[in-house]
Amino acid sequence: MKRMILCLSLLLVAGLALTGIAKETLTIYTAFDQDQAAVYIEAFEAANPDIDVEWVRLSSGEVYTRLQAEAANPQASLWFGGSNTSHIAAAKAGLLEPYKESLAWQYISPQFKDPEGLWIGLYVGYIGFVTNTEFLAEVGAEAPTSWQDLLKPEFKGEITLAYAFSSGTAYTTLAGMLTAIGSSEPGFDADDEAYVAAFNEQVGQYNTSGSAAATMVGLGEFGIGCVFSHDIVKKAISKGYPVVMTFPEEGTSYEIGGMALIKGGPQLELAKVFYDWAMTKEAQDLYKDFFRLPLNPMAELAEGSVRATDVNVLPIDLVWYGDNKDAMLDEWSEITGEY
Amino acid sequence: MKLDAYRREVRGEIRRLLHDPVLLGIVAVVFVLLAAFIVFPLIKVVQHSVWPGGTFQPKYFIDFFQKTYYWRPLVNSLIVGSLVSVFGMLVAFIFAYGIARTDIPGKGFFRLVAMLPIVSPPFLIALAAILLLGNHGVITDALRLNWDIYGLPGLVLTETLAYFPIAFMILEGVLSKIDPSIEEAALDMGASKLRTFFTVTLPLAIPGIASAMLLVFIRSLEDFGNPVVIQGRFRVLTVAAYHAVVGRFNMPLGATLAIFMLLPTLMIFVVQKYYVARKSYVTVTGKPSGIGLKSTEKHVKIPIFIALCILSGIILLMYGVVLFGSFTRLWGFDNSLTLDNYRYVFQVGGQYVWDTLKIALTATPIGGLLSILIAYLVVRKRFVGRGAMEFISMLNFAVPGVVVGIGYILAFNTPPFQLTGTALIIVLVFVFRRMPVGIRDGIAQLQQIDPAIEEASSSLGAGFFRTFTRVTLPLVAPAFLSGLVYIFVRCMTAISAVVFVVSAGWQLLTVALLYEVDQANLAAAAAYGYVIIGIVLAAIVLMRFVVARLFKGGLTPLGGE
Repeated sequence: MKRMILCLSLLLVAGLALTGIAKETLTIYTAFDQDQAAVYIEAFEAANPDIDVEWVRLSSGEVYTRLQAEAANPQASLWFGGSNTSHIAAAKAGLLEPYKESLAWQYISPQFKDPEGLWIGLYVGYIGFVTNTEFLAEVGAEAPTSWQDLLKPEFKGEITLAYAFSSGTAYTTLAGMLTAIGSSEPGFDADDEAYVAAFNEQVGQYNTSGSAAATMVGLGEFGIGCVFSHDIVKKAISKGYPVVMTFPEEGTSYEIGGMALIKGGPQLELAKVFYDWAMTKEAQDLYKDFFRLPLNPMAELAEGSVRATDVNVLPIDLVWYGDNKDAMLDEWSEITGEY
Repeated sequence: MKLDAYRREVRGEIRRLLHDPVLLGIVAVVFVLLAAFIVFPLIKVVQHSVWPGGTFQPKYFIDFFQKTYYWRPLVNSLIVGSLVSVFGMLVAFIFAYGIARTDIPGKGFFRLVAMLPIVSPPFLIALAAILLLGNHGVITDALRLNWDIYGLPGLVLTETLAYFPIAFMILEGVLSKIDPSIEEAALDMGASKLRTFFTVTLPLAIPGIASAMLLVFIRSLEDFGNPVVIQGRFRVLTVAAYHAVVGRFNMPLGATLAIFMLLPTLMIFVVQKYYVARKSYVTVTGKPSGIGLKSTEKHVKIPIFIALCILSGIILLMYGVVLFGSFTRLWGFDNSLTLDNYRYVFQVGGQYVWDTLKIALTATPIGGLLSILIAYLVVRKRFVGRGAMEFISMLNFAVPGVVVGIGYILAFNTPPFQLTGTALIIVLVFVFRRMPVGIRDGIAQLQQIDPAIEEASSSLGAGFFRTFTRVTLPLVAPAFLSGLVYIFVRCMTAISAVVFVVSAGWQLLTVALLYEVDQANLAAAAAYGYVIIGIVLAAIVLMRFVVARLFKGGLTPLGGE
């Protein structure tokens, strides 16, 4: 009996070792939501049957952290999706591989790509406020239409969003606050510090991932969330939750969803295949189901997605916020007490 | 004088060891393994906290005491731990007393309910708590309650329900093994049953109660799954350390937080093992006598029975809500039934199921064998460093999973020990995390076997290895196999250590559950949870069947469970 157990475990260990020998495998990190990423990646595998993709879903800030942790021995070759402020921070830290030869890089306009080819834009998104209508009826309030509205006393403890350090959604929201409040110079000024401190008192719970707030508001667990409009439409409005989406009149924050090759990644040639595919019309047509705005001009837009013409957009220096991400997060932690 | 005698004894032990090369080899190998996979990671954690990058720089240590928001999570964790240990002990005591000391009906059912949280994956109780008692929860709305479950109330509720089984197992053992003759003597002398309870039974049970509370305290301090869901703004240390490492790549901060997590658990562990456990007045190694005094008075039985029904109802309600939620389209909002969530688990998470099974099925036999081997060495053999071996192998009992996870990525991230990204590192985490319980049970089993049987084997000429495999193992086999199931279950439901060591190549179901919880995909999370429960239940049933078939004739003097 005991000998059998020993043999079995030896066989299993051998089996584990052997499974290392596989067909062409590409390892990527993605910041798209788990169920969304599955759709895009399966479409890629269908179009490229000889490549098998292994992927891990992490929020943007967590991917940046993972790259730092693995700098000596990168495990993945491609970073697919997520707010590009994290890509910019990673580029500054020397963690990305340039790729200017891609056809897409040639035609994308300069504000949606890195001049050195270290990252490229896949989509854009705008931060919106999602509010539960039943909650509004209960407290007798209107949905917020400005950043200042979020500080109203009836919203205390009712706001939910993600941690600025883990989620691109939350960091983009923070950048929007800092630009809209006080002076629009990047970074914290005195007004900004006061605002973020007051806003922090309104927050009932911070999440890890940006889009979770949309669902939690839909369920009525919290009254208001700060989430990208494509996620609000996909995860709350299209599901039928009792919510309303509004935008701050001072102007809202926006992200460029980014993609980059990881420096020293073990399968860079395969990663380039994915990279090129992800910029094609076929790949970006998939965004329709998720209400994202593709940067490929030939791709289709979904009914109900929020366009640049629908909102007032703040002039946010995303490159500055990417370059200074670590310092911004330190100050955010000091003010909010969350780290 | 004493020192000389001690030195002579040690020299004697060393000489004896050198004469038995097989034993020497095995002891050496075990020490190397323990040093590499238990001690080394802990050293790296301490090193990274105050010597990051090689220079002495205790910035975060100092900051920890100066900045409120750094040490608040430690205070919060201790508050939660204290409350959970008290409430957990109370709940466990009601179950244990009801089952061991009364003749209420339905004991088998209540025992099953009390053990249910043990086989349950993390997060589920907390998810149920939100759906039922959250700001817009079913019960909250129905009763128009105005409370906030996020934070301390939610943490105490979920962790009490999650960890009272540990206290229950200890208390049941203690209460059922109290020598009835002492109580009978008290009654004979004219004390009422109530007086007997408070002056005889309870004091005898106090070391067991203290042990139970301390162990629940440790489990609460290291809890990761429930706080992730329900802590709100009431931060606890485990989640803070996780965010420091995974959210900010701030390894020195993460290591510092890990140390502050480790200090209380280590202290509690040492107090429990070397102080409280020694004061046990109850023989814990005999079989449950079952002849103890049973309370048959209605005024005792009925309240206990009612309390047990209510508690069981709460537990079953929570698991039931999650099971139901796994079949809904939009849990909490659109309760139309669908199999989509399970399809999602097997499509997107299909690879995770295989990875998890492969790794758990590898780690289980290795962990089980290593545990029983160490238990055997500690109980039967005399060699220099035996106490150290026992202490080190039990150490992981006190080390929070988050600390182990951080320690492993610090220790095994760079050549020549590059294990991150492999399946092996996950297997190692499982094997060494689960060892303390396996060793403790192994020691208990071996202490019940008369050494004379093994001595007979050696006097007939069998060496250490032969005796161990041909005599000892078959004698402990039923309990050993059941112990394997326990290890497997813990592998399937582990999260706080392994969340740091999974990779693109090797994913685990519990981590996939975490991702779904992160993104508030509650129905998918519920489905993952029940897939895990399904696998665990299948394993338990399978092992019971195997044990029953193999040991039909009751080969061993130990009998069944």
